[in-house]
Amino acid sequence: MAKLFKSISEEYDTYGTISEQGEIVFGQVRGFKDIVDGRSKYAPKEFLISRNENILYLPKIEKKAVFGIRSCDLKGFYIMDRQIYGKDPFYTARRDNTLFINFVCREPCEGGFCSSFGGPVLEEYQIQVIPDGGKYLVMVSEEFEKYMKDFKVVENNEIEKFRKDFDNKMEKLPVEGIENRIKWNSKLWKEYASICISCGACNFSCPTCYCFDLYDREDERLREWDSCILAGFTSSSAGNNRPELDERLRQRFYHKYVYYKKSKDVYLCTGCNRCTEDCPVDIDIKEVITHDYSKE
Amino acid sequence: MMTLRKQEKYWGAIRQFFYNFFPYGSVGTITVCPYCGTGCQIVINEYGSSQHIIGYSLSPVNEGKLCIKGYSGLSYNFSKERLIKPMIREGDSFRNADWNEALNYSASRMREIISKYGPDSVAFQSSAKCTNEENYLMQKIARMAGTNNIDHCARSCHSPTALGLINTIGAGAATGSIGSLEDTRTFFIIGTNTTEQHPIIGAKILRERKKGKNLIVADPRKIQLSTSANVFLQFKPGSDIALLNSIMFVILKNNWQDNDFINSRTQGFEEFRKEIEKYPPEVTEEITGVNPSLVEEAAMMIAKERPAAIFYAMGITQHIHGTENVMDVSNLALITGNIGVRGSGIFPLRGQNNVQGSSDMGALSEFYPGYVRYDSDNVKKFEELWGKKMPRNRGLTLSEMFDAAADGKIKAIYLMGENPLITEASVSKVEEGINNLELFIVQDIFLTLTAAKAHVVFPAASSLEKEGTFTNTERRIQKISPIYKPPGEAKPDWWILKEFGKMLLGMEDYSSPEMIFDEIRKVIYNYSGASYDNIFPIGKQWPINKDFPEGTEIMHSKSFPIGRGKLIPVPFGYPAERADDDYRFIMTTGRNYYHWHSGTMTRRTDILERESPEPYVEINNDDAMMLKVRNGQVITLESRHGSIKIKARITDKIPSGIVFVPFHFVEARVNELVGENYDPISKIPEFKVVAVKVIP
Amino acid sequence: MIIQKNEYLPEYYNIENVKWETPDIYTINIKTKNPGHSGQFFMLSVPGTGEAAISVASGNGRDLSFTIRKIGSVTGKIYSSQKIGVRGPYGKGWPWKDYDHIVAVAGGIGVPPIRSLLEELMDAGRNRDVSIIYGARTPSDLVYKDRFEEWSRCVDLTITVDRGDEKWGGNTGFVTEFIGRKNFSKDTAIFIIGPPLMMKNSVAEAIKSGIREENIFLSLERRMECGIGVCGHCNVGEYYVCEDGPIFRYTDVKDKPELFL
Repeated sequence: MAKLFKSISEEYDTYGTISEQGEIVFGQVRGFKDIVDGRSKYAPKEFLISRNENILYLPKIEKKAVFGIRSCDLKGFYIMDRQIYGKDPFYTARRDNTLFINFVCREPCEGGFCSSFGGPVLEEYQIQVIPDGGKYLVMVSEEFEKYMKDFKVVENNEIEKFRKDFDNKMEKLPVEGIENRIKWNSKLWKEYASICISCGACNFSCPTCYCFDLYDREDERLREWDSCILAGFTSSSAGNNRPELDERLRQRFYHKYVYYKKSKDVYLCTGCNRCTEDCPVDIDIKEVITHDYSKE
Repeated sequence: MMTLRKQEKYWGAIRQFFYNFFPYGSVGTITVCPYCGTGCQIVINEYGSSQHIIGYSLSPVNEGKLCIKGYSGLSYNFSKERLIKPMIREGDSFRNADWNEALNYSASRMREIISKYGPDSVAFQSSAKCTNEENYLMQKIARMAGTNNIDHCARSCHSPTALGLINTIGAGAATGSIGSLEDTRTFFIIGTNTTEQHPIIGAKILRERKKGKNLIVADPRKIQLSTSANVFLQFKPGSDIALLNSIMFVILKNNWQDNDFINSRTQGFEEFRKEIEKYPPEVTEEITGVNPSLVEEAAMMIAKERPAAIFYAMGITQHIHGTENVMDVSNLALITGNIGVRGSGIFPLRGQNNVQGSSDMGALSEFYPGYVRYDSDNVKKFEELWGKKMPRNRGLTLSEMFDAAADGKIKAIYLMGENPLITEASVSKVEEGINNLELFIVQDIFLTLTAAKAHVVFPAASSLEKEGTFTNTERRIQKISPIYKPPGEAKPDWWILKEFGKMLLGMEDYSSPEMIFDEIRKVIYNYSGASYDNIFPIGKQWPINKDFPEGTEIMHSKSFPIGRGKLIPVPFGYPAERADDDYRFIMTTGRNYYHWHSGTMTRRTDILERESPEPYVEINNDDAMMLKVRNGQVITLESRHGSIKIKARITDKIPSGIVFVPFHFVEARVNELVGENYDPISKIPEFKVVAVKVIP
Repeated sequence: MIIQKNEYLPEYYNIENVKWETPDIYTINIKTKNPGHSGQFFMLSVPGTGEAAISVASGNGRDLSFTIRKIGSVTGKIYSSQKIGVRGPYGKGWPWKDYDHIVAVAGGIGVPPIRSLLEELMDAGRNRDVSIIYGARTPSDLVYKDRFEEWSRCVDLTITVDRGDEKWGGNTGFVTEFIGRKNFSKDTAIFIIGPPLMMKNSVAEAIKSGIREENIFLSLERRMECGIGVCGHCNVGEYYVCEDGPIFRYTDVKDKPELFL
């Protein structure tokens, strides 16, 4: 892997997961051994959608390679591409110039449900790495085959077996058809609204939430990540069409499981469970999927 | 093996290297959020031109969670309105100056005033948003200049806590920790809108409630926590003592109190009991408006389903009986044995990020650092350490300083990080006082309403740009680290203070905040075991000294600092202003979730400003219908002290006869309506009960 | 490495003139040809204040014109600015080409896209079977008063106000009351724009009068920031008002519970 790292680092600025006093964040790394094994605390959306930036000025985009991103986060980018790629110049430029090397989780994380959305071994990827003891099984997409020139190609049927093992370890949730089962007037929304404190953590930590807010500050036009849980998200001179918190929570779940499926044919969720982990009141998105709506 | 401190220096150097050569480098720094007293730890990933903020997962305070102010509220730091140069007044406007000129001018003017009018003609106002080191320096400057006229905004929020709890149990701070709440069985919330003011603590309470714990909420308004409560006591503003006494009546009548605890650890029970016998719930119902059966339920849970933790904030303290309210809360905890056991305790929820620290540092007119009273013998140790005779008279409190300025007794005020023209009661008196000063020095990060009236303005660095320590509401001393460089010529407050101190008094030089902290450790026994090394990254709770080298999670577990806790009989008294035929409504002031205090920081952040862009008054639906007021209509609120025009917001969260106004908005300064009714012991104004009339 | 054109960068134009139609509504004209169609909108920006989504008020090919109500921070600054930024056009316009008989119903400040529609129809010579119903609260809230005569010569024009004053000699009543008085065929299309309550009632009236639901078109309004379907603010169900609208066919959106605010 160190050799692979070196050949990539000749063309790209290399980033990877590092530990900051025990918190796993992304930072620049000089060598493969600097990369810490572990899922980062936040989804690395920032490599593509900057947290705040001035959109009147398209900066020089550097080529970056990011090691250590997890499959749940990377899948989020492919899902977001369907809505944003090609329309937003910043996202598109960064997406074209960033190489993601995702590490597949061998063991299910606590609370994650990625197997309901296809599992940790992705179909779409750039360079996918499955750690196997001390060895690494590397899958490359066509575009990046040049990096594997010096390595032996190995036939490996292990991947199917790995997928089956993983599915046995992680329970699959009944995600199929959620867009038809979910109810507009469910009592879940009011229940959540009574405890939600509108912190926005679910939006900020989600690998597929892309909404942003635009505002002017002197000669700059800035954009900043926004949260649909906040009331000002839909306030306009015509009024606010979601004045209550339960309506906004419902909007978030509908956007993820109903609207995006209808318009782009894929759920806007990858099963990473970061929203539940970061929620201060433990609102669990799995409950939205497993709840029995027919009883209401 | 490198110590953490050296590691941090190493990473700091790496970061600097990255800054210079890799402008898109991403490195994380752990620091503390500058907003509320919860003191959540945040990791800021400086990523080129943007900053990614996440909660630190290993922190026992917030466990990786943050509220909207933490996530989106830090962009005020990059506002173009930041003060970048020292300024000196010339006529009606300011001119720029350099540090030498500004410091020399202010120090020499102050020296003139002291020599002409005496040391008590100057006053210092410190800041609960500044670090411990800076508060310590400011009170040292004041005392070495010969006056005890040093105070800060804790006077208007938790001074009753300091005075009340020091009287009853010996220490004016929370008795437990946020982590210990997992052992609590009953939560009693009174006078705090926890999910909006201390969101992470409120969220923790909600999480515990989900596990089946008991939640009792007592508040005049239907706050968000009340929807999840087992028992909701919606009582009238100003009747806290009647409510608490009636709860204790039920406890004593049923013999639910903890007699072992009372006999072995308290004193004064018999006198106290006689007072409580006057408050059966059926009688107090008329004063509080609370059904006796609810009072009984609440009393049962607090006394029998222990450990019980009591949380309170401004709803208890901002009254003319504020100190007595606090002592009554302490009575309740003492008779039910809810102190000293993990999961129980009294939790005064301190507002600002460092108001606990600034009070500990003695930035109060009656206390030296470590809560040494101005007239006690222990003042001698400061005289020895600082090499000068210390003033032994009681200094002026915050509001008294402005009154004295209006009367011409105070000629100069040095104010740091405060905005009293919006946050103080009786704002017109404050303005009169400020206009009458000969020297007004303001040190701040923005040109606030108050700073615009100054003679000299010092530009300060924000808390993301300097090093130091904050102490949060659970007594945890946490370290903040600098992430950005201050803009222009702004300097950290500790640097400005020490330069000023050098020029004014020949005070010694400090080369770093760590040096100041080392002096603090010598002077305050409860901070003596802390050092920059061992409080990073997750901080330690004081007392931390050789008896408790790792800090203390639960206080008073074996004995109180004063020996036995005191049970103080507290008779009920009405608030200073009551509704009458002329002024038919009671107004309480408070905060909302999105903004912070005078809005200096949050109103410069787009996402927060978008949520709550204009001032409003909450009115009950029935009252609005009777007055023929529509939602969004601009109405006038008039009290005996002033009037403001403000938009109405009709809601059913507030009971009939009461209106609520948040104080964040400079366009409608609600503190113009609050009069000069003070608690005689702590001098806190009564912000929570003001008689007003509503004019459509 | 392809660096795309930055879609967010507006083009700056000078405002030629500002005309006040009512105390709080004004029209601005810009000397450049309108590249957009009626029903589409542009994002107008005042540097340092922000952006606002405003529907175009003139027809395709004519001089660019907008009619704006002074209600927020941006709209309160446009009339006094020398230069404004314009980006667009965005959204889908009125589908007038598909129909022979068109009825347009406008309420209050919703009338500019109808003026734009009318100008396009007149330029295409298609103004014979067109009816316009326009209503406002009071006579002083009526916009484009000086054009009514010209319009009434070309199309069937009905003006009404909710509440008249002593000088008003025209119709009074809500626009919905006038919808039923027109003759409709099953191929009539109705274009509705105005405050949410007015749109809801107009739709109900139109269906009662026999118009087919797939021939009803609404112009919806939501908070818009990017205009290109990326920021997520303007959604109605799975549609984005900036991309799939602002003109929606009623059958596409009638099952959305959030349709009328």
